[in-house]
Amino acid sequence: QSLEDCPLDEDEDAFQALGEEDEDIDQFNDDTFGAGAVDDDWQEAHERLAELEDKAASSREPDGPVGNDGDVLGDPEDALAERLTRLVIDSELEDPAIMQAVHTRGPPQQPGGLNSSIWDSSAVLRRIRGPLLAQEMPSVSVLDYALPQRPPQARDEERDPSERALPRRSSSPIIGSPPVRAVPIGTPPKQAAIPNFNQQILCPKPVHIRATMQQRYPAPYGERMSPNQLCNVPNSSLLGHPFPHSVSPVLTHLQRAQLLGGAQVKPLPAGRMSPSQFARVSGLVGSPLPSMNPKLLQGRVGQMMSPAGGFRAFFGAPPAPPPSQLPHPPGPGSHLQNLRLVLSLSWRPARCLHPSLTIPALPRPQPQMFRPDTTHLHPQHRRLLHQRQQQNRNQHRSLNGSGGDRGGHRSSHQEQIRKDPYANLMLQREKDWVSKIQMMQLQSTDPYLDDYYYQNYFQKLEKLAAAEEVHGDGPKKERTKLITPQVAKLEHTYKPVQFEGSLGKLTVSSVNNPRKMIDAVVTSRSEDDETKEKQVRDKRRQTLVTIEKTYSLLLDVEDYERRYLLSLEGERPALMGERKQKICDMYDNLRGKAPGQDRPSDDHFMQIMCIRKGKRLVARILPFLAPEQAADVLMATARNLPFLIKKDAQDEVLPCLLRPFSHVLYHLPLGTVTSLVQQLTNLPQSAAAPTNLHLTAVLQNKFGLSLLYLVLSRGEELQSSDTNTELMQDNQWTELMLMATRELLRIPQGALAKPVSIPSNLISLFSRYVDQQKLNLLETKL
Amino acid sequence: TAAPLSFPAEKHLVLLRDGRTLIGYLRSIDQFANLVLHQTVERIHVGKKYGDIPRGIFVVRGENVVLLGEIDLEKESDTPLQQVSIEEILEEQRVEQQAKQESEKLKVQALKERGLSVPRADTLDEY
Repeated sequence: QSLEDCPLDEDEDAFQALGEEDEDIDQFNDDTFGAGAVDDDWQEAHERLAELEDKAASSREPDGPVGNDGDVLGDPEDALAERLTRLVIDSELEDPAIMQAVHTRGPPQQPGGLNSSIWDSSAVLRRIRGPLLAQEMPSVSVLDYALPQRPPQARDEERDPSERALPRRSSSPIIGSPPVRAVPIGTPPKQAAIPNFNQQILCPKPVHIRATMQQRYPAPYGERMSPNQLCNVPNSSLLGHPFPHSVSPVLTHLQRAQLLGGAQVKPLPAGRMSPSQFARVSGLVGSPLPSMNPKLLQGRVGQMMSPAGGFRAFFGAPPAPPPSQLPHPPGPGSHLQNLRLVLSLSWRPARCLHPSLTIPALPRPQPQMFRPDTTHLHPQHRRLLHQRQQQNRNQHRSLNGSGGDRGGHRSSHQEQIRKDPYANLMLQREKDWVSKIQMMQLQSTDPYLDDYYYQNYFQKLEKLAAAEEVHGDGPKKERTKLITPQVAKLEHTYKPVQFEGSLGKLTVSSVNNPRKMIDAVVTSRSEDDETKEKQVRDKRRQTLVTIEKTYSLLLDVEDYERRYLLSLEGERPALMGERKQKICDMYDNLRGKAPGQDRPSDDHFMQIMCIRKGKRLVARILPFLAPEQAADVLMATARNLPFLIKKDAQDEVLPCLLRPFSHVLYHLPLGTVTSLVQQLTNLPQSAAAPTNLHLTAVLQNKFGLSLLYLVLSRGEELQSSDTNTELMQDNQWTELMLMATRELLRIPQGALAKPVSIPSNLISLFSRYVDQQKLNLLETKL
Repeated sequence: TAAPLSFPAEKHLVLLRDGRTLIGYLRSIDQFANLVLHQTVERIHVGKKYGDIPRGIFVVRGENVVLLGEIDLEKESDTPLQQVSIEEILEEQRVEQQAKQESEKLKVQALKERGLSVPRADTLDEY
């Protein structure tokens, strides 16, 4: 703007003015270019800036702001470390920056007691403590108790920043955001933490841990390694679940970090090394490690382990400094000891807090009482697992003196609990929640509609079980049946949303109120254009449609029995009426809609019978039909049997009709039977053809022959049962029989089909009409 | 008997859609059948032999789970199957795959000669 405004001859001045303005603008300001842009953490940035300002104030440099910021533009981590050192070397109580920080955070956060120091409330420390919230309780309390001599030295040591690892980004155990704290971080514990201790170690739960951790103080830093670091390692290594190799680098890093306590440690990327993650997820954190700063290896070497074999080396190699060194003031080796002590101790329940009960990491080869199935674990894994077990058991036993008599079961239970801290990772609440969701999905107003096959299957099973029960008094097998929630059916009439006073309705389409998207119009084709094939195809399609419709009716009818049982008394007649109606409809469908007269053509029926499904449909419908109707169907079938046989050659479904047919036959009067036979044999009344193709065909087909036998058998039954029948006097019958027998005799054996069943009374039937010789022949044929 | 996800933990067997069999302690589950398996072992079966590969922790997305079942620890030990080392089982698997591929090739060849073509299973969609 200034440029534009200025006239040309005033350019130089303008530029100078610009330059001056620029000086005011901090061109290389931290937030845009420096660490502020990189660093999200305003607290850290604030610290830095605060200190910078001081420096600038104290040593004002001629080249202005740029010079100062050169510092910032350098490597942020190194600069920070430097600054921290500087901060610390000056007495912190006098350092205005820190004083300011203290004041801004507020006095209430000033803790009294063990770890009271200004560091507690500083931004830097906040982050150290942050991850603590997610950690196991034990290690901290162990520290408190196990190393009581620490506190006096704490103050001095924690001042040494080089021994303190930079705090991690705070990250919650569950999600990436920091946990919500009811109480500010620095508040002192309100109660003794021991009572919770037992629970914590046995069943680590993020909620509980967080709550109790809040009340914990972070242990003094320096020699006593920062608790978050300590917590991690115990969790990971002593949980009794040694990890596969891939995890070792992770642990190694932590161990390194701990041993070094180096302030040179880069702040870890957020979330990657979150202790809770560490506690829970062992194998997954392996990858980020290679990115870690190799500087970590510098510093105290001491008992440094090689990165690769860190984990195993730790446990595999015997600890170089003997455990007895432990109570001594820190030296390089004691880091390791400290580590080991805490590692071992943190794993113990509250009872064994005595520091002298150090358990060396050496494995003790003692026999196992309880060896769970560990065949699926890697051999090393298994070995470590058993080591842990033994140690735990020994520890437990030695502590519990008399309690050890409580029973092997109890101790092994404790064993298991200790051994498997992940066991109850899911709260009962969460499990219930998941099952609630799953059960909700099973809710149904009409289980027979929604889940037909399941219901039927279990009904069948129950019937079987009940039958078995009745038969023998065997042990009642407990069949756990899933009781699905039954929801009452609510009738919802959907009314689209309407606003009062508005014109018209909302044009919103939903599941309940679908909007018509396409105008599909059915165009019927004219007959002329169609070719023969198309007509045939159409007819076939019509038949298929008819079959489907009839099937639906049939399923409904079959269902009525169940509905009848479920319904109320008043509703039952209505149900029965419905059922009857449906049956009639079915029959109509089968036979074709009633034309004016009798049903002369079997055409419709034949069409249906040509289709496999149609035949099955007929078989299922027959039991529901009235006797006359059923007889009618039977007649039609018999009449056209050769045709049907021919059509059935591929499907071979006709035999399915036999059973219903036999049922029908059972109720048929004689006259009907006679005409049936007539139909079957198709003997013209007047003259007998020399060869009867119809009958031949029938005889040569399994279904046909079986049907014939059935009919004959029925006739015989009738004849024998009622001596006073007209059968004997009925010429027709006799004639038919003679014909039948003649035909049977004529047909060569090979051509005769194999019937499904041969009724027993056939022989007696035939014996009436033929002589002995022929009878014998017939017998052989049968 | 202990319910799943409770202490003492029960081993579970998971069959995945790609045919893998995982055995581990089920630690967490959700409504989509996403699973968290601990101390997981992938078990490869070839014929009467099987081999276990320790895998650590698995988080399985629910849509890939075919079935999940608890393993009865007592019954686990009495199987007619024989456990072999990882190398051996991988070798066996490789041999089996090879044999299958060859027979498949022959089949396709034979069909081609007859003018038919059956699309190979891997080109078909999983569903």
